[in-house]
Amino acid sequence: MPWPFFRFLGRRLAALVVLALGITFVAFVLTQLVPGDPALTALGPVTSADPEAVAAYHAHWGMDKPLPVQYLTYLWNLLHGDLGTSQLSHQPVLNDLQHAIPATMELAFLSIAFAIVVGVPLGVVAAIRQNRASDHALRVVSLAGISMPTFWLALLALYVFFFKLDWFPGGGRLDPGTTPPGQITGLYTVDAVLHGQWSLAWDALHHLILPALVLAAFNVSLITRYTRSAILEVINDDYVRAARAKGLPERVVVIRHVLRAALPSVVTVLGLVFANVLTGAVLVENIFAWPGIGQYAYQASIELDLPAIMGVSLFVAVVYVTVNFVVDVLYGVIDPRLRLT
Amino acid sequence: MHRAARVPRLALPAALVAVVLAVVAVVASTAFAAGDNTKAEGTLVVDTSFVVQTIDPQRMFEPTSQIAVKGMYDTLLTFRGQSTTPLPWLARSWKVSKDAKTFTFTLRRDAKFSDGTPLTSADVLFSYNRVINLKGSPSFLLAGVKVSAPTKYTVVLRSSTPNPALLRIVPNPSLGIVNSKVVKANGGTDALGGDKTDKAEPYLLSHSAGSGPYVLKSYNNKTEIVLEANPGFWGPKPTFQTVVIRNLPAPTQLLNVQRGSNEIALDLSAQQASTLRGKSNLKVITNASANLFNIDINTDPKISEVAANPHIQTAIRYALDYPSFVKLSGPGAVQAPGMIPTTFLGHLPPTARIKRNLPKARAEVKASGIPSPKITMYYPSELTINGISFATLAQKTKSNLAEVGIQVDLVGKPVNSFLETYAAGKHPMSQSYWGPDYPDPNDYLVFTPGGLAANRVNWGVAKDPKLAALAKQAQRTVSDTVRASRFRQIGRSMNQRAPFFPLFQPAQAIVSSSNLTNAVLGVIWPLDVRAVGTR
Repeated sequence: MPWPFFRFLGRRLAALVVLALGITFVAFVLTQLVPGDPALTALGPVTSADPEAVAAYHAHWGMDKPLPVQYLTYLWNLLHGDLGTSQLSHQPVLNDLQHAIPATMELAFLSIAFAIVVGVPLGVVAAIRQNRASDHALRVVSLAGISMPTFWLALLALYVFFFKLDWFPGGGRLDPGTTPPGQITGLYTVDAVLHGQWSLAWDALHHLILPALVLAAFNVSLITRYTRSAILEVINDDYVRAARAKGLPERVVVIRHVLRAALPSVVTVLGLVFANVLTGAVLVENIFAWPGIGQYAYQASIELDLPAIMGVSLFVAVVYVTVNFVVDVLYGVIDPRLRLT
Repeated sequence: MHRAARVPRLALPAALVAVVLAVVAVVASTAFAAGDNTKAEGTLVVDTSFVVQTIDPQRMFEPTSQIAVKGMYDTLLTFRGQSTTPLPWLARSWKVSKDAKTFTFTLRRDAKFSDGTPLTSADVLFSYNRVINLKGSPSFLLAGVKVSAPTKYTVVLRSSTPNPALLRIVPNPSLGIVNSKVVKANGGTDALGGDKTDKAEPYLLSHSAGSGPYVLKSYNNKTEIVLEANPGFWGPKPTFQTVVIRNLPAPTQLLNVQRGSNEIALDLSAQQASTLRGKSNLKVITNASANLFNIDINTDPKISEVAANPHIQTAIRYALDYPSFVKLSGPGAVQAPGMIPTTFLGHLPPTARIKRNLPKARAEVKASGIPSPKITMYYPSELTINGISFATLAQKTKSNLAEVGIQVDLVGKPVNSFLETYAAGKHPMSQSYWGPDYPDPNDYLVFTPGGLAANRVNWGVAKDPKLAALAKQAQRTVSDTVRASRFRQIGRSMNQRAPFFPLFQPAQAIVSSSNLTNAVLGVIWPLDVRAVGTR
């Protein structure tokens, strides 16, 4: 690998550390600023009126110490790989995240793959058939996809494909009472395959498809629209006309010349797509009872579960920095002019 | 311009990709057309929106935890169905002293834990002391109670004050008996200071240590809790080999229960449940919950002179349109006759309900001497109980009071923030609610002067010493007949002058597959899975 690449990587890693530190600080301060004592909901109305019980709760969760001490203790524990214990689940946050993150990732990967595989070709079609009936139809459909509330689409999908047609199950990652595969990656489909549990893998895939498709709907529309406009920007450029003048088949012109030039814009959108998936996951996970990071974050914030909020914030920070890094690297792969060397 | 004539050659692969994906999705799904219904025979599925922090019995007090813990751990006494009459369970008999301070339980001798260890008074002693010393959510159940075990099969509870409610407290799943040897071996302690030294919770989140008909197979507080039949259970065998308690939101429960078999949905609103009536594969039960929605008003003029004005309080009492609140909740809901729900001893008859009287309310506003009364009302903004949103109730209250010239400014706050200022007695007026901790009128003494809830509206003993004395007398009364009479007397007085306005008991619904029996909502625990059977 060339040195500039390592310098670039080093800068990004340093930024990640600073960002993560900042995120923990902001999350900590914001959670403290929200009025409300988690002990009141955790202990219930009667026990929370007992100062001794409240004091015991505060002492148990380290909330009896001064705020700077609490924060520094958190950082110290973080350095040792300890993200604390969730007040909500009574389990180590790291343990919770080890289950929640793969659940969301499994959903996100399939959803993004579907969005790319469908969105990019549709965008190409819309662009090269600009202002024709198919273009208009695709624009209307993509507008509908972007405008449709995710939770409504999720309920509609459940009603049609689970309740009416019985094509897909009604929620969860596996059938009720099914023992999950031993955790290797945390992705049930992958883990089941790695363990050779084929029926379990199908069960996991079967549960995965519908929420992934719902989550993909918004992004299919987004990618279609971005791809269309990116292609329209270059489709009449001189080098494209030259390629056509050489007698190259239109398919080759579009794929090798037009699409390649348009791809950096599409790749930029992928960063957005990932953000959309994480945001949309909160609603989709709730409707489909998918135990991912979205549900975890929602519950943590409602209950002011500080260790869980900090853990999720750290995860999101790492993901965003990583995705941006990957997108930057992809620019170089797609367009040699952008390579750092 | 590009040559549009060649376009179809490119459009074709794109269209093909989309078609192939769709076909794959359909094929994959049809391959599993049986879908969610492929669960093994002998499996009961309970769908509920999880409210669970732990399944350590001595730490838990949440509805979902209660379902699981009730299946795995036995209590000295129990309730059947929706009855609140204590019945023998681990204790085959009991005696109560005349002053209601000493309770002696004689244990059955054939009860044993799932590992085969006999259950004795030492386990009861350990479990109860652990509840007390952990200082967790359920510790208040045994406040002021000392436990002893004079013989291997005798347990004595001594209360520092007369406590006739204790027989209705003992069936609470939080007072489930754990295998003391197992829990001790895994870091548990019943000693003073247990809040700092007890380390058994992680063990009890992955194993059960009870004597109930079920043992824990797996626990995930986000997805599902799976229980398996305890092969060595000392009592009658449960119908189902496996019970899956599954976390689903209400809209998904509505769809699932219609497709499934041996399935129960616990969180449908009465309106949602009523859409399922008439379906032959389902059984729908709706009735009045023991939860009680009410409005609290502060009696401290320093918090709000308007709210503390007795004429304004009376005006509000008669300005509220109680029947329309009931309608909001749907079929099965009832107007609360007083602060004690209709399901419990000492509740008022329907004739004692407060009736709307707008002329009287307007006259009281006038008598207050406040030209344009204005009050701020707080409510927990994101909270929904039994399908009723507090935001909707708050809007209704505002419009009711506007009719008599009282302007209400609404302030919605997240539950935690709401509770903090509410508990500190800082709200001029609150849209509030109370769920029973145990099915006994003593649980409602919190609303009498100087009680927990009364202090939140600064209604101390000095503000109504006569009522406070009556409450103290009722608390110590042993005879249920006399208790009922005293609590009714208190209820009538409160309906006239207390700073609480009881609105309604919401409708609650349980929907189950029609082949299931005993699928009923309990008064304390949402569902007793050990009792559910099939036709």
